Amino acid sequence: MGFFSKFRKKSPWILHYNTGGCNGCDIEILSALAPRYDIERFGMLNRGNPKQADILLVTGPVTKNCKDVLRRLYLEMAEPKVVVAMGACAHGGGIFRNFYHVENGVNNIIPVDVWIPGCAPRVEALIDGMVEAIEIWQQKSKEKEYLRDHEKVIKTLGVEDDG
Amino acid sequence: MINVILTILAPFFGGIVYGIERVVKARMQRRVGPPLMQPFYDFFKLMDKRPIMIHSLHALMGIMYFIAEWFALGVLLLGNDLLIAVFFHVIAVLSLVVGASSVRSPYSVLGALRELMHMISYEPLMVLMVVALYLVVGSFDIKDILSYDGYPILKLPFVFIAFLLTIPMMLQKSPFDVAEAHQEIIGGPEIEYSGPFYEALYTGKWIEYIYVFTFVFLFGGSHYWLGALLVIFAFLFVNLLDNSTARLDFRRMVKFAWGFLIPMAAFNVILLALFE
Amino acid sequence: MGVLVALNVVVPWIVALIIFLSKKDVVTNVLTFLMLPILIFTAYLAYIQPHPVLVETPKWLDLLITLYDFGLLGYFLYQGIVRKSGLIAILATIQILFLIIVLIMMPHSQTPNIYVDSVTLMFYLIVAIVGVPIAIFATKYMDYGEKGKHSFVAIVVWFLGVMNLAVSVNNIEWFFALFETTTLASYIMIGFRGDKEAINNSNLALWMNQIGGIAILIALMIFIKVNGVYHFSDLLKHPTIISMAALGFLSLSALVKGAQMPFHKWLLGAMVAPTPVSAILHSATMVKIAPYLILRISPIIKGTLLAKLLIIATGYVFVVAAVIALTQNNFKKILAYSTISLLGLMMLAAAVGTPIAVSASLILIIFHAFAKGFLFVEAGVLEKVFHTKYIEQMRRLIEKAPLTLMFIFFGFLNMTFVPFGTFIGKWMMIEEVSNFLQHGSYILLILYVGAGSAFLSILYMKVLGVSVRKAHGIEKISFVKLPKRFNFVSVWYYVWLLAITIFIAPFIADFIVPIAKSIAGEPEIYATGLTLHMYNSTLYFWQIFGALILLLLIHVLPYFVKFKADIVHPYNCGENFPRHMETWNFECLAKYEGYFVAFSIALFIMVVVLGGGLL
Repeated sequence: MGFFSKFRKKSPWILHYNTGGCNGCDIEILSALAPRYDIERFGMLNRGNPKQADILLVTGPVTKNCKDVLRRLYLEMAEPKVVVAMGACAHGGGIFRNFYHVENGVNNIIPVDVWIPGCAPRVEALIDGMVEAIEIWQQKSKEKEYLRDHEKVIKTLGVEDDG
Repeated sequence: MINVILTILAPFFGGIVYGIERVVKARMQRRVGPPLMQPFYDFFKLMDKRPIMIHSLHALMGIMYFIAEWFALGVLLLGNDLLIAVFFHVIAVLSLVVGASSVRSPYSVLGALRELMHMISYEPLMVLMVVALYLVVGSFDIKDILSYDGYPILKLPFVFIAFLLTIPMMLQKSPFDVAEAHQEIIGGPEIEYSGPFYEALYTGKWIEYIYVFTFVFLFGGSHYWLGALLVIFAFLFVNLLDNSTARLDFRRMVKFAWGFLIPMAAFNVILLALFE
Repeated sequence: MGVLVALNVVVPWIVALIIFLSKKDVVTNVLTFLMLPILIFTAYLAYIQPHPVLVETPKWLDLLITLYDFGLLGYFLYQGIVRKSGLIAILATIQILFLIIVLIMMPHSQTPNIYVDSVTLMFYLIVAIVGVPIAIFATKYMDYGEKGKHSFVAIVVWFLGVMNLAVSVNNIEWFFALFETTTLASYIMIGFRGDKEAINNSNLALWMNQIGGIAILIALMIFIKVNGVYHFSDLLKHPTIISMAALGFLSLSALVKGAQMPFHKWLLGAMVAPTPVSAILHSATMVKIAPYLILRISPIIKGTLLAKLLIIATGYVFVVAAVIALTQNNFKKILAYSTISLLGLMMLAAAVGTPIAVSASLILIIFHAFAKGFLFVEAGVLEKVFHTKYIEQMRRLIEKAPLTLMFIFFGFLNMTFVPFGTFIGKWMMIEEVSNFLQHGSYILLILYVGAGSAFLSILYMKVLGVSVRKAHGIEKISFVKLPKRFNFVSVWYYVWLLAITIFIAPFIADFIVPIAKSIAGEPEIYATGLTLHMYNSTLYFWQIFGALILLLLIHVLPYFVKFKADIVHPYNCGENFPRHMETWNFECLAKYEGYFVAFSIALFIMVVVLGGGLL
């Protein structure tokens, strides 16, 4: 915990990724940005860019297509980082649970720090979850974080070089 | 003396301007907005991130962008020739563009090319503006302009309007934020930077605020209150424009600059040259 | 002085002859290397002599030149018939007829035929310092599977001598002979490879340049008819009574030689020839005759309608050639268009004709010679060693050819960026012209300079951007061993450019200002230490130095800086398929090329008809 770490809580930047949910959660996230809730009050910005984001906000049950994308986005984020799973789908599939095309929740793909329950969660719940995420985030160090089965998975993720 | 302080503390002042801008923008949208010092919190937070990069050249060019931008501001404030300061700004663009196009990410490359489009839109206008100021004041020297007794703004109304509409191009504001285009190409040239390296770009942009608004300030001549008023007006106007307009295509931007802004400024210069 | 002039002209000729006759590698290599110190020395000796000097020439030389003229034109006519090109034959016939008329009309004149002033001496130095290394480069370049190495090097060396003579003649009839000789040289060199494309392009170069020759002859006729003089020094003596029409035709020939639109095609055609040809045509010789000619007549045309129309026409070319260059994908073509563009700027500056504008023109000539020679040498290296001709092949050049890319980067920086000469030329132009904006052409000039430099900057940034493109880390930089002669030539230019740029203020104050003074009067430029002053504007040495260091860091540092940080993939929406973004060729502008050229023809006619007062 150095001098700079104290300022973390004042500027969490969010990367939001929908892994195949119904968009209910996403609308709640958007309303959090809007004047009524205005999460920019807390310095939060929706960056849309993993390289500059601190909090990965995942919604949806993680479809098979989204699996690797989610992993790559996670790996492209710089530590310290926090993953927040939002909504029932992200918790284990929700109404999509055990469908042929889903991975039953974010936790099976990347390590999750904070869960926000609800279908869809209210904005208050979202903000509450964010506050909790920031608390966890403040405890984290700059150590590199890995995926589950990192060695095995990483081989499937390579981006082709154009030679 | 004040210009030395302004140059050395440019990132600090630029950060405050950016903080004010974020608050003002939020208030215009009926939001509360972040605290005033938010840019600095971001700055410190980014300092604390684990450094990641695509490759060294890319990261280095980001840092060079910051240095070149600062140097350009130094030339503007400490030197005595406006024209040289205008051309110094190109070095900053060079490092930004070379850096952004050195990665294979399509967003970054697209952003770099659009950055070039920005440049051809505002560069000739900047030159024209400096020449117009010269015609009024009789000197390219910033000190002479700042001790000029008249009101340059009264003689250069069209040039001022043209420059006012160029500011969104230089500061990446809507409707001319085509290079950055956060919803479209996610920041363009800056997309691949992260952590401490992104910080260089982030702060470089703050310095650009000071750089641009210094030019606005010059329209007040020796009447500093007028200059300050113009700066405040330009600041509010640009933010209002940013909040109330959608992004244009880059072709529209170039056409607007070349078809409307430059002829308007040139018209002003011709009138001035004829009646002086 | 007469001996020194003769030495500067004849030494390259002798060397060329020996190389041509011996056809031995050792002789060629040693002689070209030897020529570098010798020519620099003779040029320097000439430079420190008192000048301007008029040199008397023997009578038989006059006769010889006239005979040579007819021989040359006869050769052109013969080539036109052999190559079945009616245009060349007709133009050659017209020239022969006009030449006969001129010779009949020509009164006897006591004025000496050689006139050596500081512009001439500057060109001697440029030819020696910039031109000879290209011959050295050619000796190695031609080893890479090209035929006729020795005759090629001989032609290049001979051409340097021709250029030296061309800039020192006073008699316009002689100048015509040398003008046509440079045409011949470009004709031979462009057609050197002998394939179909080369022959077509050399024919193009021949007939376009012959139009310039005809223009000179017409100008000569009018000069003799109206004023009865045909020497540059005589023209300068009575500037007020000189016929505008003749000057119009003279500047027309300059525009043709300087490959200004619409006559730009011949210079583009030169890229089918071996790269040293482009290097020599673009840098020290050939096209530089154009600004030279305008500089010669600039005191006469200053402030006239002709000068203003020249400003409009050449400034237009400055911008439009830069715009068209954006749409090209051949590296040599890009360089050729940027030459055309910058030649426009040089002639524009010369046409403005005030002391500072003339200095700007001279600075542009010198720096453009160095930078273009440099860039074309690197283009040759790219072509022969790395087999790269097009921009799309330039991807990842930073890994494949780091040293060459560094040199190209530096050459590009020289063409537009801050502390370098080209920038200083533009800066001077803008500041100078801001004083007399009452005329529309000068306001247009400011727009031209601002827009043109922006377009050129984005052109260079685009090319650089493509050549550093890389998906993952740049780790495997492989420093390919280049031939020693290539490295020598590259480093030669690099060091010269760097040295002149650091000492640019004293260089301008001590070297350029006296030359400009001899043409147009004392410019108000002086240097204190390394700081450059002009009127009350100052380019401080910390600005020059700071910009130089910044740019040096930007182009050298990437090879040495290794940050310790995690390497990640570029953002690709998390997907795993390569997405290419190849939008660098500005397709949207290509469709305007026809309009640009059409408009330039209109401007061209305007220059001759209105500027020359033919109406």
